[in-house]
Amino acid sequence: MTKPDTDMLETLFQDARAAPPALPDGLLDRIMADALAQQSNARSRGWRGIWQAIGGAPAFGGLVAATAVGFWIGVAPPSTLPDIATQIITGASYAALDDTATPDLTAFGWDIDEG
Amino acid sequence: MSFDASIDDVVDDPDAALLARYAQGDAAAARLLTVQLSPRAFGHAFRVLGDRSEAEDVTQDALMRLWKIAPEWRSGEAKVSTWLYRVVANLCTDRLRKRRGGVPLEDIAEPADPAESAEAKLQRGAREDALQTALDALPERQRQAVVLRHIEGLANPEIAQILEIGVEAVESLTARGKRALTALLAGQREALGYEDDKT
Repeated sequence: MTKPDTDMLETLFQDARAAPPALPDGLLDRIMADALAQQSNARSRGWRGIWQAIGGAPAFGGLVAATAVGFWIGVAPPSTLPDIATQIITGASYAALDDTATPDLTAFGWDIDEG
Repeated sequence: MSFDASIDDVVDDPDAALLARYAQGDAAAARLLTVQLSPRAFGHAFRVLGDRSEAEDVTQDALMRLWKIAPEWRSGEAKVSTWLYRVVANLCTDRLRKRRGGVPLEDIAEPADPAESAEAKLQRGAREDALQTALDALPERQRQAVVLRHIEGLANPEIAQILEIGVEAVESLTARGKRALTALLAGQREALGYEDDKT
């Protein structure tokens, strides 16, 4: 091993440092796409995770519709249903049926057995 | 989320501060990290593997691991670039081990573009090939250490962290690697144009 040989190696290292290999076409774009996709995944694990867990917009729409229908039935019940809201507000009895009039339908008679 | 960017992080490791911003949803930080770190990861992988396609896969894989770990990154344990070099080094080791079971080690990348006919370009290409061929002939650990020290220009303590060995072991690996490279390249001075080099 001679001095010129080691000098040549140093020169080769210098050349390699000065001219790093060119990145393949599209590599930066692919890495950037990975970065943004991963960022989006990580964000979806927060509030978006909860949103996704309940099924997203379609499920939320169904939830809102069911709530609205329930609320409306409470405010303005159909004529076939007792008006529970009014009964509660006015303090009237809200038992629609007379319990004593239908003894056969109460607990299959177990309540009678137990006195 | 255990990672908070502080002034110290910005001073000690600007990449760590960028990684924190990335974890908080900053797309510009992702772009900066990609542009700064990808060439270093690719450069190391290419020099160690001697194959552009494999180096490309390793680079994309290593960066993907960085994106995944970003929310849990703990500042002060290691520099982001050191961590990334370690991942690249390990991925290269895995590939070289697999290669040993099948493809011969001497299967290296072709010279860049055969249409480059100017004498200087040919000579530069020949020199790059000569260095790469000689690097490929080194044992894997020596090759990793030599590339990190003499081409990536890292300090021995950082190389020790990357290769998970002691600083003395790094010194030994680089010294033996340089001796082996010098021996491999001896006799090619004239062929590589170093006798009357004007370029």
